[in-house]
Amino acid sequence: MPMSEAQLVDLVINWVRSNHRPGNSPNGDLSPDTDLIASGMLDSFGFIDLIVFIESQSGCRIDLTDVDPSEFCIVKGLCRISLKDRQN
Amino acid sequence: MFEFVETPIRPLQQSEQLSRGTVSQQHAARPVLATPTSRKYNGLIQGFLESAERFPCRDALVVDNTNFSYRGLRDRAAAIAQTILDQESDSFPLAAVLASRSATAYASVLGILGAGRGYVPLNPKFPVERTRKMLILSGCRVLVAGREALGQLRRLLSEIDWALTVILPDLTDAAELRAGLPKHRFVSSQEMLQGESFSFKTEVNSSAIAYLLFTSGTTGEPKGVPIHHSNVRPYIQYTSSRYEVNERDRFSQQFDLTFDLSVHDMFVCWERGACLFCVPEKSVMLPAKFIRDCELTMWFSVPSVAALLSKMHLLQPHCFPSLRFSLFCGEPLAAAHARQWQEAAPDSAVENLYGPTETTIAISHYRWNPSKSPPECLNGIVPIGSVFPGQQFRIVHHEGSRSGAVGELCLAGPQVTDGYWNNPEATRRQFVRFPETGETSWYRTGDLVKRGETGGLQYLGRIDQQVKIRGYRVELQEIEVVLRKASGAEQVAVVPCPVADGGVDGLVAFLCGASDPDDLHILNRCRQALPDYMVPRNIYRLEEMPLNDNGKIDRKKLLRQLEGA
Repeated sequence: MPMSEAQLVDLVINWVRSNHRPGNSPNGDLSPDTDLIASGMLDSFGFIDLIVFIESQSGCRIDLTDVDPSEFCIVKGLCRISLKDRQN
Repeated sequence: MFEFVETPIRPLQQSEQLSRGTVSQQHAARPVLATPTSRKYNGLIQGFLESAERFPCRDALVVDNTNFSYRGLRDRAAAIAQTILDQESDSFPLAAVLASRSATAYASVLGILGAGRGYVPLNPKFPVERTRKMLILSGCRVLVAGREALGQLRRLLSEIDWALTVILPDLTDAAELRAGLPKHRFVSSQEMLQGESFSFKTEVNSSAIAYLLFTSGTTGEPKGVPIHHSNVRPYIQYTSSRYEVNERDRFSQQFDLTFDLSVHDMFVCWERGACLFCVPEKSVMLPAKFIRDCELTMWFSVPSVAALLSKMHLLQPHCFPSLRFSLFCGEPLAAAHARQWQEAAPDSAVENLYGPTETTIAISHYRWNPSKSPPECLNGIVPIGSVFPGQQFRIVHHEGSRSGAVGELCLAGPQVTDGYWNNPEATRRQFVRFPETGETSWYRTGDLVKRGETGGLQYLGRIDQQVKIRGYRVELQEIEVVLRKASGAEQVAVVPCPVADGGVDGLVAFLCGASDPDDLHILNRCRQALPDYMVPRNIYRLEEMPLNDNGKIDRKKLLRQLEGA
């Protein structure tokens, strides 16, 4: 049964809750529309860790070659890209 | 080329006086303190102004998809310069700019230089407490603030004791700020002069400061590094020739202004009429699409960017066909990433640059050669190569070591500054003379190097606790000072972790006897005083700190504990 976008969003949010940068508490502020970089919750290395986590969950490689950063930095944008790549 | 450069360079730009302070007996060196002389010199802004004359309608800058011509950018800078001179008649040599990745940021740098002052870049992304510290240490009377910094002005300025003139090119009405902070003088965009007939100050004293940057300091205070026009002009001239920069080039602008590599981006680009493309904040992390979309010809970043792109599978062969030169600086460049980047940008020369802030942007280079370079790499790290022509280096060996062994790299020459800003103690420690080289002032880098078999310099590490995180220089002691205060701990140690491909990805802290039991609270307090890259990722609490035979904290043992965790 393929993972739905909503399920993946939940997974990502839970991952960020446990792995966000020190001092940037996401309690209450973390939603599918959160920009993970602009909010300061993840730095570039944390973001890469998140991608690796999503890839390990989905078993597919995420291709960011032609994706605008303003899309892949948002929780739901990143999840959509991840699932799109799995469908292709 | 790789032997100690014996050719005499021109005398130091400064007259010098000897200090009777600390002398490193190990290096038989004498410390140097300097005072300015008054020889006239072409300022850092000269190249931009010449390009603005030659190419007034060509693009000088692209920010957020908006293009600014050389004429347009010069006019913006003139308005800021004219306003500075109108508001501040005193001759204080510096003015600060608090702006980032905006047209105002670049115009402010040019405007401050055009007013005959050196610029002090402050970073709106840094904690206000740290920015305030830098502003106070600089002593600036003028601050130019961009739109992106308006939200923090109240907190920043409320604890500044002296009256500042704050120029606000992006704010039409400053009444609210004026009412809230009556001590300071605010100049809104509507009150600024237009600068139509402004005459830029291009000729400066050789001792005049072009910019003042702050680096991490071991005592817990940021350390000011003044770079003079006479230091930076030779760099701009050498590199713009070496990279054959022309008006058709398209430069990346990836670094924050508080990072001295941004000076290369701006002024090597503008020296020859090229166009500067400001990398948006969101593309800084993974700029592959930006490089392609903007058809950049010149790339300059820290090696971490290549590492991240590689990890994200974004360094594919031939993916950057427009690049002519790809430069990396600020931290060790892994051979694997140099090779991948070369394959991604087959028409580009890939170079590893090296240089502490004190020696002006970069002072040595190594060009990657796919067939010859791999065996020249040590521990998988690309050599730092040869020192620029006209600059000098020597490797100072520890007593008893043989020639060719590992030693501390010391640098001298026109690019090397003469000391720290209002910090004679640090100056005495790092700027020295050697009996055999007369009056030449040498900067002790603290970097351990050795000569490779083909003569190029190879970087091996540090003699102290300094680390580089994404190119930012970090003194671990500075973090420990903040942590000790934030936690009430008796003993504190910060160690780099994880470390991969010769680069440091993060930091962790060990505390012993901390009065505050809440890690999050401690880290939050750290975030108020330190930029993100200096805040430890995790805190580990110990009953007892491991000590080595000398009774010092055994950092290697701490690292081993982490590896075993």
